[in-house]
Amino acid sequence: MLFGMLSRLGGYVTVTLPEECLEKFINLAVSRGIFLWDITGIGTGRVVMKVRLSSVQALRHVARMTGCRFKIIERHGLPFFVSRLRRRRAMAAGALLFVAALYVLSSFVWFIEVSGNKRVTDQVVEQVAHRAGLKLGVSRWSLNIPALEETILNQVPGLSWVGVYVEGTRVYIKVVEKKLPPPDETEYPVDLVAARDGLITEMLVFSGYPLVEEGDTVAKGQVLLSSVALPPPADAEEIAPYGEEELSEEEQPSRYVRARGIVRARVWYEAVADVKLVEKGAEITGRETTRFGIKIGSKEIILIGPRKIPFEHYARHVESKRVPEWRNINVPVELLTVKYHEEKPYINRYTGDEARRLAYRKALDSIRGRLTGSAAIADERLEELTAPEPGTVRVKAIVETLEDIGMNKPRT
Amino acid sequence: MTWKDLKNRFKRRFSDYLELPGDIMLDLPKIILVGNLQVFIENHRGIQEYNPKLVRVVVNDKVVEVTGEGLTLRNILTDEICVEGRINSLSFYN
Repeated sequence: MLFGMLSRLGGYVTVTLPEECLEKFINLAVSRGIFLWDITGIGTGRVVMKVRLSSVQALRHVARMTGCRFKIIERHGLPFFVSRLRRRRAMAAGALLFVAALYVLSSFVWFIEVSGNKRVTDQVVEQVAHRAGLKLGVSRWSLNIPALEETILNQVPGLSWVGVYVEGTRVYIKVVEKKLPPPDETEYPVDLVAARDGLITEMLVFSGYPLVEEGDTVAKGQVLLSSVALPPPADAEEIAPYGEEELSEEEQPSRYVRARGIVRARVWYEAVADVKLVEKGAEITGRETTRFGIKIGSKEIILIGPRKIPFEHYARHVESKRVPEWRNINVPVELLTVKYHEEKPYINRYTGDEARRLAYRKALDSIRGRLTGSAAIADERLEELTAPEPGTVRVKAIVETLEDIGMNKPRT
Repeated sequence: MTWKDLKNRFKRRFSDYLELPGDIMLDLPKIILVGNLQVFIENHRGIQEYNPKLVRVVVNDKVVEVTGEGLTLRNILTDEICVEGRINSLSFYN
């Protein structure tokens, strides 16, 4: 390998000479320190051999002394390649030009990609970047990335972070938009709808047209305060909007308001919880061990880590790294990092009372998770249901709350 | 028994006693066969005959004959020859 490369670098030739004077020729050449290789008879009374370009002159001398004439039939290696190129200058120039063009062109920005934006359009970001000096065809080293990031951040409204990454001829502009609060305009038509099923106990209307009354039962999603006046029924006075003096005659186009108000209602929540009288499980003790290995095909080889897992009960977490698939080539080699966490199994036994209390607490907890902040618990009740299987206790908890069930919903 | 034989015998005794390799002390060829594919002959005195079926190499006071098919001399240095091909036999002649 190395030898072949070296002889290619210096150049070598293939020569032939008649078989009858071969031995004399070779012995003399070798004694002169000429290195010959790949001496092969080709049958027709002639022999082929290879010799370095630097020793061809010495070989001529040997040929004169032995009286054999050799013929050069092939030339290999860099010196011949160079002289061939010298004869074909245009090709050499073309090759050089190609490499140079590839290098030069790869130092410009040819693609700009904006990502992470939802409200702000790509164009806006690109325009600002353009003004700041990031445009197609600009050279990569002329980019001042921190300044660019800052300019885009300052000049594009509604951004909270900008990152600019250069990868090859591609520039990625990653943006994060500010999270704006929902628009809050009084003239925006918004209904107040029920967030939950419930029985209305109190209603306080600031603006809008109430469609329900105290004592009504409402379903989730039902409109409580409408943003638009309904066509007036026979007794028009009753649904006159609060806070709006001059009001919908039949001819007047309907006016939109933003419905606002507090609608307090009784809401019931239910949850069912099961508790087994004999509970089995496992808890992690915190002791762990790691094993690192290679998986080739279906065979696993452990490189680092214990051969035998020192725990009686354990959970296994496998992380594997492999060469990404490319085309159809799928390297069946994986690096595996396996973590073993020791576990301690436990058995809890409960009496009926304990189980019931536990189930009740579980059910209450699951209800509390669903409550909103404004909810005040008015009543809690507990019902024991028939268990689905022996050895378990099933409990239903019912919680009654008083809460504001109003929810804004923009009118579409 | 000539003086040369006596000298050789003494040399062999001496190299056996000191456990020196014979190719250094006695100027013997060292021949390495790699399967039937390659023969390395070190410490040679040039080639006597070459064609693709037969290679004769002069060593010390003998001739090594390699027969086979498609034999080529992969390289020749002043003290080493490498013969490549399908080797059938290797024998010594005086």
